[in-house]
This record gives sequence, C-alpha cells and structure tokens, in this order.
Amino acid sequence: MIADHRPRVPILAVRDLAIVYATRQGDVPAVRGVSFDIQRGETLGIVGESGCGKSTVAFGIVNFLGANGRIVSGEILFQGQNLVGKSEGDLRKIRGDRIAMVYQDPMQALNPSMRLGDQMAEVLIVHRGMDRKAAEAKCIQMLERVYMPDAANVMKRYPHQISGGQQQRVVIAMALLNDPALLIMDEPTTALDVTVEAAVLDLIADLQRDFDTAIMYISHNLGVIARVADRVAVMYAGEMVERAAVADIFLRPSHPYTQGLMRCVPRLGQDKTSSYLYPIPGRVPSPQALPPGCIFEPRCAFARRECGQRRPELREVAAGHWASCLFAEEIAEQGWKPPAPAEKAPSPGASAFPPVGARRAADRPILKVEHMKTFYRVPSRRLFGGREYVRAVDDVSIEVRPGETLGIVGESGCGKSTLVKTIIGLETPTAGTVEFMGIDIAQPVSRRSLDILKNLQMVFQNPDSTLNPSFSVGAQIGRALRRFRKLPGREVRAEVIRLLDLMKLGERYYDRLPRQLSGGEKQRVGIARAIAGRPEVVLCDEPVSALDVSVQAAVLNLLLEIQQQMGTTMVFIAHDLSVVRFFCDTIAVMYLGQIVEIGPAEAIYMPPYHPYTEALLSAVPIPDPRVEQARIRLSGTVPSALNPPAGCRFHTRCPRKLGAICETQTPPWQVAATGQRIFCHIPLAELSRMASVITLKEAPHAG
Amino acid sequence: MLVKDYMTRHPLLADPDMPVVDAQRFMVEANVRRLPVVGDGKRLLGLVTRQSLLVDPGRLGSLNMWEIAGYLARLTVKDVMIKAKDVIVIGPEATIEEAARLMVEKKVGCLPVLEDGAVVGIITETDLLAQLTSMMDLRSPGVRATVRMPTDQVGGLARLVNAIAARGWGINALGGSVYPKDPAWWDAVVKIEGVTKEELLAVLQQVPGETVVDIREV
Repeated sequence: MIADHRPRVPILAVRDLAIVYATRQGDVPAVRGVSFDIQRGETLGIVGESGCGKSTVAFGIVNFLGANGRIVSGEILFQGQNLVGKSEGDLRKIRGDRIAMVYQDPMQALNPSMRLGDQMAEVLIVHRGMDRKAAEAKCIQMLERVYMPDAANVMKRYPHQISGGQQQRVVIAMALLNDPALLIMDEPTTALDVTVEAAVLDLIADLQRDFDTAIMYISHNLGVIARVADRVAVMYAGEMVERAAVADIFLRPSHPYTQGLMRCVPRLGQDKTSSYLYPIPGRVPSPQALPPGCIFEPRCAFARRECGQRRPELREVAAGHWASCLFAEEIAEQGWKPPAPAEKAPSPGASAFPPVGARRAADRPILKVEHMKTFYRVPSRRLFGGREYVRAVDDVSIEVRPGETLGIVGESGCGKSTLVKTIIGLETPTAGTVEFMGIDIAQPVSRRSLDILKNLQMVFQNPDSTLNPSFSVGAQIGRALRRFRKLPGREVRAEVIRLLDLMKLGERYYDRLPRQLSGGEKQRVGIARAIAGRPEVVLCDEPVSALDVSVQAAVLNLLLEIQQQMGTTMVFIAHDLSVVRFFCDTIAVMYLGQIVEIGPAEAIYMPPYHPYTEALLSAVPIPDPRVEQARIRLSGTVPSALNPPAGCRFHTRCPRKLGAICETQTPPWQVAATGQRIFCHIPLAELSRMASVITLKEAPHAG
Repeated sequence: MLVKDYMTRHPLLADPDMPVVDAQRFMVEANVRRLPVVGDGKRLLGLVTRQSLLVDPGRLGSLNMWEIAGYLARLTVKDVMIKAKDVIVIGPEATIEEAARLMVEKKVGCLPVLEDGAVVGIITETDLLAQLTSMMDLRSPGVRATVRMPTDQVGGLARLVNAIAARGWGINALGGSVYPKDPAWWDAVVKIEGVTKEELLAVLQQVPGETVVDIREV
C-alpha cells in the first residue's frame, strides 16, 4: 500500500449541515448539525429509521431538495469546493461529471420507452461529446464490468425486459460511466431479493476497489451496512448521534439509540425459545416538537435528569468514535441488560414453550396440504389450441400441527404467496387437497362455511391496502367480532378495546381512521382484526417486511405473545431468513413452486443443507461484522414458472450440480438425522459434509 | 504495474473560470502542487502549477497599485494555465516506467491521466517514488543486499534466486539495473525478512561469479 502520500482532502466533507422544509405550519428542521467526511475509496454507511433525515442529507448534497427544501447553514465541501451557494449551472456540471446517484427503485431511474443501450450511450454522448460508436463500445464494456451476462444483447432491450437485479446493475453501470468521485446510494438493494442483493453488494465492493469511488450508502438494514461500510453514521430525528468504524459501531455501540437498533434485529443464531427482541419504546419525535434536552431522552432506558436539560454534543468518546450521549462511555462499558426476569415473565421466555419435539408427536396436523398445485392459465402463444400454465405452486405438501409456526422462505416468484393464498381460498387449487381441522377446504373463500372462515385468518404484507380507509379502527375490528363470535352489540366495544390493549394500542385508537395511524400501528390493527375471531390458524404473508426495524421488533414480539397466549397456529412467510429463524418451529424453503427443504428451524441452519438453502444462507446480510459467510452466489435468475426446468428445478443455477441426473430425474426426498427432508440428488452423507455457511471469526480488536 | 493502479483517482480539479486567488488558496489548503483544469465532461483544458500562478513582474511594472489589485482580482485560471495542447498526458493502461520516462524526458513532475479525453486521474513523481519504496519493501525490516554480476552472463539472477530459495527463504523485494558507472556490470538488489546479515552473506558468497557489494539491515 502506497496510499498515504496522497492528498488527504476528503472527497466529501459535510460540516454542520442544517436543512429545513418550509410547510404551512412553518419551517420544519429536518436535518440539524450533521457533519461527516468520506475519503477516496471509502464507504460511509448511513443508517437510521425512516424519517430520520438520511435521504434529506443525500438530496441536500446534490441540491435536489424540492421547491420547499433549503439548506439554512453549513458547508458541503466536495473535493475542497463548497457546493452550498453554487449556481444551478455549476452544480449541474459537478453533478453530471463527478457525483452519481443510485436509488432504491431502478425502474424510476430508467426511461421505460428507450432501449437500454440508447439511454446509457446518451450519458457519454451528451456529457463527454463521444461519438455513438465509441460510446456504445464503452457502455458494453461497463455492462460487462457489472457482470451483466450477454451485455451486447442487453443494450438492445427495454428496461422491462430484464429483471430487477439486472435493472439495478444497469443503473449502477450508468452511474459509473462518468467515473464519479462520489457515488450516493440510497437503499439500492432494498427492493431486491436476498440472493440478488448479495450479488449487487459484492459488485459494489469490487467496483469501489477498481474505481476508488467514495460511496455514501444509505440503508435501514443493519446487516447490509455491516457488509458494505467502512465507517457508519447513525442518524436519529435529523441529527447524527453516532459515527465510528463499522466494527466499533456493531461491537461497541456507544449511543443508546444505536444499541436499541441492534436489539431490534433478530440474529441468525437466535431462536424464539432463547431470545426476545427489545423494541425501542415510543416513536421518533416530530422535528417541530423536539424534546428540550437530548433528542433521544424520552425513549432512552438510560435517561437521567441531566439528559432532559441539555442537549449533548457529538463528541469523540474513543479514538475515531463519536457519539452524542452524555454518558456514552458508561453505556458502552456496561452494555444493556434486559429488564429483570420478573418483568419479562409474561413475555415469551425460555420456559414458555414446550419442547418442540414433544408437542409434535402428540398432535395431529391442524392444516394439511397434500400434493397441491396451483396453476395460472395464460394465453397460449401458439396459433391453435393449447393452454399454457404458470406453475406457481407445483406439488407442495405441508403439515402444520396445533400451536406450531411454519415459516416459508424463498426468493420472490417462488410461489410462497400463492401457496398461502390457495390455503386461504383466494386462489383455487388446480389439484391436490387442503385439509383444515379434518375438513377438505379446497374451494374458494366465498363458498367456505363461516366456521372455516373464522378459524383461518390472514395478515397481509401491506397494511395500507388491507384496512378500509373509510371505517374507523373500532368498526373494522368490531365487524370481525360480530360476524365470527356473534357478540351482542353492547359487548363489542369492550372486546375491541381489550384487543387494542393486547396490541398495545389502547382505547384512544378506537375511533381513529387508518390514515391517522403509522405503518406499525396499521399492521397491529390488521393483526387485531385477524385474531378477533380467535382463529385456530393465522397465515402471515410478510407481515413485517414493510416496517422499520424497531417497529418490526414490536410486531414480532406481539405475534409471539399472541401465539403463546392463545395457542394460535401460524404460517409465516418471509424473505428474511433471520426473522424466520427467530419466529418459526418448522421452516420450508421453496424454489420455483416446490419445497426443496423442510424441517425443524434449528436443523435448517446447519448442514446438511439443500444447495439452495446454502446459497440463501450465504446471501443473508448479518448485522455483525465478525460473522464470516461462505461466498456462494447463484448465477442467473429464477427460471420462468411457465416452463420449469426438467429434473431438479434448481439445476440451472445449482453450484453443486452433479451432472445429467439433475437435468433429467426428479430428485428423491432424503431424510436427515436432524429431522429435515431435502429434495436433492446429492447423497445425504455428502451434504452432511458441507461446511457451515456462517462462522464467527475472532473479534478483530477489543474496542 | 500499470498507471491505472498507481495514479491518484478523482484528483482535485479546477474550473477555468476560477479566480487565480482562489486557486492559489485551494492548492495551499489541499497541499497539492498541480491542478488539472477541466471543462464539461472532465475534458482537459489545461494544467495549473504553483509556478504558473506566479505573476510575471514585467506585466505589473507599468501598473499602479490600484490597477494591480484589479488585475489580480480579474485574473482567472484559464489566463495562467498551461494550455491542454502543451500538457504532457498519459493513458491509464500505460506502464509506470513509461510514465517515468515521459516525466524524465519532458522534465515534468506530473502527468494527467486521460481516458477518452476525460481526466480520470493524475500520476506524479511522488507516486513513482512511493512505488519505488514499496518495490524495495521499505516498510518492513529485513536484510538488503546488492549483488553485482557481469551483464553478459545469462542466468546470474536465477542462480542468485535459487541459492536463496534453497534455504527456504522468501524474497520480499527484488530489483536490478545496470551499474550506472560501468555498463559491463549488473546490480541486483534483494530484500529478505527473518534472516541475519551473516546468514545471508554466507549464502550469497557461495554463488559463483557474483560479488556482494553491499549488505545491510534496514
């Protein structure tokens, strides 16, 4: 390394930045006193919950604040030049040539009506004055650089003709065409599947090494931040509360908010019998009504009298480690202890759950799906006759026993949502049986008896679209009570309030309309409505993936409590493997309409793995920089369910493919000693010899 | 060892309309001696060095004090820069010795690195000297020996390396060039870690036809 003789002028230096948005209620100070540096070739991760000002900082740097936003004070030094106060023309030149941005949704950055090659080449033709031929050659070269298969061909396609992961690659390639000194990435992988996300994160790391670009990486996902960032800045309510090297942030968090965030995230190593998530109480204060002292004081478990009186400065608590807490040293030293066991007793603790095995043997399954197939018919492209089907769910069998939680994981498009939609009756199965409490229910929801409807309920992913916007919370939950439990009118209100209390919402929410609730609150109302009729089984389709980490923790805890108190059986869909591990007794891994591995939660995360499970585990971002994951990346995308590959469906992407047998013969189910069943040709003995994907390396240093 | 791996990417850049006063302050604050001047698309327009910022006293001689102040305030980078056509440049795929040759021959201290007409980096004499220190592995302690051998003899270097390898030692750095004072001889420099001076000397003295001209711990 011979880097240290180079000029130490940071690519980006932000000093005391303050940004306000003008609204009818007056100026809203969205960002206050934020300072940070990013050096050449360094990644600064910016993390925080939604609404804490992360994106506002990013927009401020490029002055995309909109009509009502403005920078009121501070400096933004880009390569030594202050961008604040520069004319629009000068800024445009700097933005075009030296700063690039990548946002969450690649479709918004691409013009849907232009071929990809044309829009990429335009960058070079307009900015650099290159001729078309040279520009196109350079674009192909850059697409190859971002590992785009068949780059020359992709140039001729339109954005909708390539997958989401590929679109994001095109956007990244486009951003790098001008060789920017600073790349701002705002949640660039949030909309992608874990396996695709892992590949994109690898790509970002490779490109950074080659192009020496400074990256400002915004994410709410601590696992992603742990993987990409060199240094991390934590933002809360418009201020920077902690800033340090990535290992320090994760191993020695010194601000109570940072510690709180860490406790909200389920770790891969945790299961529900041994751990409990500790959500941060309360919510982020509105920027117009900030507490007088420390902004985190109202939610802080460590708060003392001084905290409410004066606002702490961001100060250096250890070398290179900055935190804005009066008692940072103390807090980092003692760490956070969970509340005393007496307090914790009503929540699910170690003793609350009977051993999984004992329960399993005793009961008959409450929900039994056998050889279920759900196909969607699509118009045939042939001239005469013939129908084509999307084989969304193809021969799936599962059993769920009373009180158990089954988790279903897989990439998007693997059929997990179709599976639960068929169980609930929103889709009609093409073949196979669905048995619920001993009754065959393979029929649409409109023909099911009230008793089945009552006992089989669902919580949806997006709480916004499942609550009726024109009815109050009380009316919506009350309707389920009147219909399913036949409660007389006068008892309904009391019961709704009891449910709201159970959801930790309280009576004051009774008359509110959905638009008056936050995302987490809406989801709790959705859960209250689902459990109002005391169902036997609740199907949850990604109930927490649209929520912030601290809210996610609260909702997960709530679901666990409900399950414990009411003995509800649950089927839980998620794409986040750590959430599933935390929540479920049994896990099924789905790929292209089929289950490839199913078994007890603890067994799924240890070898033997199905090769697909192994790849998923190696892709999941883990919020701990000490964790080392094997680097297994799947090539290509999930094949079309219209024409699934013959033999083992995973053979087109399988890194451990044996040979012709995988392409022609349907694999056998193999039962491992640990209880899981694996759908693979590779002999079990060989699968058992696989190394564990996730290992913990020794702490790099002790603070 | 190509320019792209040793240059400084994303160098500080100046705008042609930047006042000279600002450029001067900018260079002092950032502690750099040269600034490439770029237009749209980072196309090279010129180069400013500390020398080019020095104002020619002859031009000021005829002006009074107030005129001098006005003259300096109006002076911009594009008035004083070395124009692009006179700037010596290099491509990112060139070798570093090629960069060094250009700097030596043209007597310049730095080369803007251009790719498709745009400035992608800058390589300076300091970058090359830093590379020399890492080639000689100056950072870690060890024993450094200079061995002289006849230029016309084939296999001298191989014998030297084999003798070291035979003892199971790894070579941290290896370099060589014609002895500047007599082209009949060739000097090889090796640096080895984890040995004593005496051990290394004993091994090197066994190599036929080669003499150890210098050995030291560094």
